Amino acid sequence: MKNQVKKIDKLKKIATYSILIFFALINIYPIFWMVMNSFKTENQIAINSFSLPESLNLSNYISAWNAVSLGRSFMNSFIVAGISVIITVSVGSLAAYFISRFEFPGKKLIYSFFIFGLLVPIHGTLVPIFILMRNIGLVNTRISLILPYVAFNLPLTIFILSSFMKSLPKAVEEAAIVDGAGYLRIFWSIILPMTRPALATVGILNFVYNWNEFSFALVLINDSKLMTLPLSLSLFSGQFSTDYGMQMAGLSMALVPIIAIYLLMEDQLVKGMSAGAVKG
Amino acid sequence: MEHIYKHKKKLIYLGILPAFLLYLGFVIVPIFISARYSLVEWNGFSPPAFVGLENYAEMFGNNVFWRSLKNNMVVVLASVLGQVPIGFLLALLVNQKIKGRHFFRTIIFMPVVISAVIISLVWSMVYNYNFGLLNNILNFVGLESWVQNWLSNPDIAMFSVAAVIIWQFVGLYFIIFLAALQTVPDEILEAAKIDGAQGWKRTLYITIPLVKDSILASIVLCISGSLKTFALIYVMTNGGPSHATEVMAIHMYDNTFNGMKFGYGSAVSIFIVVFGIVLVTIVRNLFARFEN
Repeated sequence: MKNQVKKIDKLKKIATYSILIFFALINIYPIFWMVMNSFKTENQIAINSFSLPESLNLSNYISAWNAVSLGRSFMNSFIVAGISVIITVSVGSLAAYFISRFEFPGKKLIYSFFIFGLLVPIHGTLVPIFILMRNIGLVNTRISLILPYVAFNLPLTIFILSSFMKSLPKAVEEAAIVDGAGYLRIFWSIILPMTRPALATVGILNFVYNWNEFSFALVLINDSKLMTLPLSLSLFSGQFSTDYGMQMAGLSMALVPIIAIYLLMEDQLVKGMSAGAVKG
Repeated sequence: MEHIYKHKKKLIYLGILPAFLLYLGFVIVPIFISARYSLVEWNGFSPPAFVGLENYAEMFGNNVFWRSLKNNMVVVLASVLGQVPIGFLLALLVNQKIKGRHFFRTIIFMPVVISAVIISLVWSMVYNYNFGLLNNILNFVGLESWVQNWLSNPDIAMFSVAAVIIWQFVGLYFIIFLAALQTVPDEILEAAKIDGAQGWKRTLYITIPLVKDSILASIVLCISGSLKTFALIYVMTNGGPSHATEVMAIHMYDNTFNGMKFGYGSAVSIFIVVFGIVLVTIVRNLFARFEN
């Protein structure tokens, strides 16, 4: 009897690992396959795309870097995503502070109004935002991306920050009020430092969303000098669609920063994305 | 406290104002402008002409629109029947006391953070007829007859695309379920074990009812997520071959920015917003009824 239970446990363990390893391979292998082939010539890929590369031939990397101006695209994405995050977190944390730490008329309404934004699909706003940016002459500027990025990131930012701030004890600012500190002072030197973990979560989360964003960039930017990374990469599907070695090299390079961010900030990203997903 | 905050009421509203204005101006107001645009015929340049509900009539009479709606429903079904059960299974497996839990979590969630553009380009190559990974594997294991033009055969292109959508987002559902499973107390499962409940029975009658809120949240997410599908298909097939993989967001983009039909495109985008809200409401009500 006891032996049988042990046997079943062992079988279960084997089944568990087999399934998990199978899915891990499905996730990893396509990317590994691409990186491997990015070091090969077109001919070598055609002959055998399974084999390991014979040498670390970097010519695909050099031509990919130049073909879609990867360096410039990285820079553009970094600037747009970075500035958007700074603005979102600044105005979002201020709003979250007042919403979570004070009682005032209309508080619940304002909060629900912000949270409603989690449900709005961006394609419902694409045409009017394009027309607006065209009319005020902002098409093909970084600011035309930053404004909608900030706006669409605010609901999740306010949701995460205000639920975190709400959990801080009231006693925190009461002592400061006795000392005569103003509300903005309390926000800046007491609440904000205590909110640091949640700020890290929303900061990295918004950065990744903006870094990956495609639709607004597609509609609002067509000047190649201002193209963000996803937009530049999408050129691979058009004008360079047949040079596969180069395409694989370009995509491999594009993967490096996002995978690095993910491995460094995994917990924040996982927590933030699932919180937003469940709420939406 | 009371009297202090009354003096500061202005400050409170002033503090919320910047976020409020940005959000109002670039998320909420544009939806109403979209609704107004959907009632005009407009090429984006000459003065718009009011046509009432004609754009909607044109949309409902357009076979390509119905095709795109159907394709969106394929994505919803693929998500509900693919991502949710696979995500749940993987969460059950990783939630055990096993070695390498963290490693598996990292790998399973990874595709969620990668941009849809990169994923669609990688998978376009995996699906490539000549050197693609998929056909290579089929040849290797002796399934030559399955070798396909995965993205250019109109009969299967939509399924090939849906498979990539499942691939990218399984990790998100996995994480949602994993978080929910970690709240299920061990004592309950232990008690069921002592009462003689079999493994799968414990899952069916104890675990699933305890995480049903997450299941509801996942289905809602499948709906809203699938209606947002755009970049992945735009890059992989651009809706082709001959509209076989066109979803509503592509239909809207194509008509607006290539066809210069801003009124018609806006009608489609309003439909996407309304359709999403209606579907989500139906699912929520079904769940509420199911509970009673």
